[in-house]
Amino acid sequence: MLTIASLTVAEIVRRRIALLAAIATIVLAGATAWGLAQLAARIPNHVLALTAASVIVTLLAFMFSFVLALGGAFLAAPAIATEVESGIVLAILPRPLARAEYVLGKWLGLAAALVVFALVAGAIELIAIDMAIGYVPPHPWEALGYLAMQCVALASLALFLGTRLPAIAAGLIAVVAFGIAWIGGIAAGIAGNVHDATLLHATTALALLVPTDVLWRGAMFELQPVAIALASHAVTQNGVGNPFGPSGPPVTALVWWSGLWIVAVVGGAVASFARRDL
Amino acid sequence: MSELAVETIGLSKRFGRRIALADLTLSVVRGEIFGLLGPNGAGKTTAVKALVGLVRPTGGAATVLGRPLGDRETRKRIGYLPELFRYQEWLDARDVLDVHARLLGIPTKRRADAIATGLARVGLAPRARERVGTFSKGMQQRLGLAVALLGEPDLLLLDEPTSALDPVGRHDVRKIVEAERARGATVILNSHLLSEVERVCDRIAVVDCGRVVAQGGIDEFLGVVTTVRLRLGPLTTAANAVLARFGRVRLEPPWHAIAGIAEFDVPTLVKELVANDVAIYAVENTRASLEERFLDLLRPVPDAHDRFADRR
Repeated sequence: MLTIASLTVAEIVRRRIALLAAIATIVLAGATAWGLAQLAARIPNHVLALTAASVIVTLLAFMFSFVLALGGAFLAAPAIATEVESGIVLAILPRPLARAEYVLGKWLGLAAALVVFALVAGAIELIAIDMAIGYVPPHPWEALGYLAMQCVALASLALFLGTRLPAIAAGLIAVVAFGIAWIGGIAAGIAGNVHDATLLHATTALALLVPTDVLWRGAMFELQPVAIALASHAVTQNGVGNPFGPSGPPVTALVWWSGLWIVAVVGGAVASFARRDL
Repeated sequence: MSELAVETIGLSKRFGRRIALADLTLSVVRGEIFGLLGPNGAGKTTAVKALVGLVRPTGGAATVLGRPLGDRETRKRIGYLPELFRYQEWLDARDVLDVHARLLGIPTKRRADAIATGLARVGLAPRARERVGTFSKGMQQRLGLAVALLGEPDLLLLDEPTSALDPVGRHDVRKIVEAERARGATVILNSHLLSEVERVCDRIAVVDCGRVVAQGGIDEFLGVVTTVRLRLGPLTTAANAVLARFGRVRLEPPWHAIAGIAEFDVPTLVKELVANDVAIYAVENTRASLEERFLDLLRPVPDAHDRFADRR
């Protein structure tokens, strides 16, 4: 399993995906720092500048979350699917290696690479923001933890789908699921405000089915200053809030559910691939 | 220890409504080179894939090196070159072998030697540090052979091992296969190149529509029935009768060809002709080629289209 995991990481490095991600991170951090420095120079009121910075951090986090989701889905979808389509597995799997070890090795390599990227790239971005304007969100590591978990959840789904579907279809379905879950979160907020129990139940079911939005809201909550969280809580009636301003921390049970969901999806990938004729 | 390297009894495999293997029964003795022949879509590749655990049979039973299919320990002793040979194009040749050496559990201190030996055997030592993505198909097939040979397997399954190779490459593969037999390994060779199979294989099986239609040693398979061509002096009526008694006589001036004569009857024929005062200038004994036997076996089906239609 560790051989497959290290091979998966080696592929990400040797195909220069890691290098490109590093360059993109540095360019983005540089651009963010430059932009915020410009903002600080033009807004003399420091409190106002920090408030503006917190909003920009929220928007950057949204972009980062989207990049992580897409990156996770499109890295994980071909991890098994392409090796099946190309025939690489035909030489690998007759070795003394259980199919479960192959799938878990792929997942482990991908999850490790994605978590490291999420934490390192996120930290670089936050350090750049701190250096440019002196703003640090309340709980940056917790927020990055949620984003990394969201990315791993989506990668797990794409990997699972890739055990049976072509890579492009698996990646696309995972990204669509991510989008639907996000919209589901907005719908949940609306359902709470208009007291529509049916819609609320449907969106809760959706959050259980694809819990990425739960993790996104967790990240948002950890990033936003307390004042904004309180304001958000004041204008919402059900405590859900909008995707950029959740009014409270994610429900602990849902966060645990997200972890179990990842385990279940990876288990599904193992079971699905174990029965496939190659 | 079982005498058989591979034994399948009524092995079957369905893909939906399509039958890929139907009652495949064959046995491969340890230490022999066994050829698996058959037309496209006959089920040869599915059979080999079932033996290495890539395909799960839907019926029947099979053992590989005396153990059930898919046994983990047994897989350490199997080398496999797939028909569709593809390796990580972003790795170099040495790294590909290193991955397989790790998966095989070859100890670290022996790994470098095993990899170097494998690459040298298939003629890739000078290209060890080049990326697989830059290799020609032939070189990738050589790499696949090196991967299959890694760890000195007891059973080597080669599916069309020379399909991308030039004549020199084919010769090299033949030598490697013979060397593996000399080492004591069993080799199952899946090939369309009948002349190649005829040259190296000890025994063969012809598979069609997922079944073994003939199986046996090369000599046994080609049969003792031959065609004898004789260049003779003038024949009397009695001498003509002698010829007719041994087979179907055909005139191919200046030869008389006697078809369907058993090989062991040839000396008797010569003796009887001499007894009838016939001058014998030359005797040529020709056996049916593997290709002729192969075509004979597959001919009974009215036409190829029908055969493929059965498989759909």
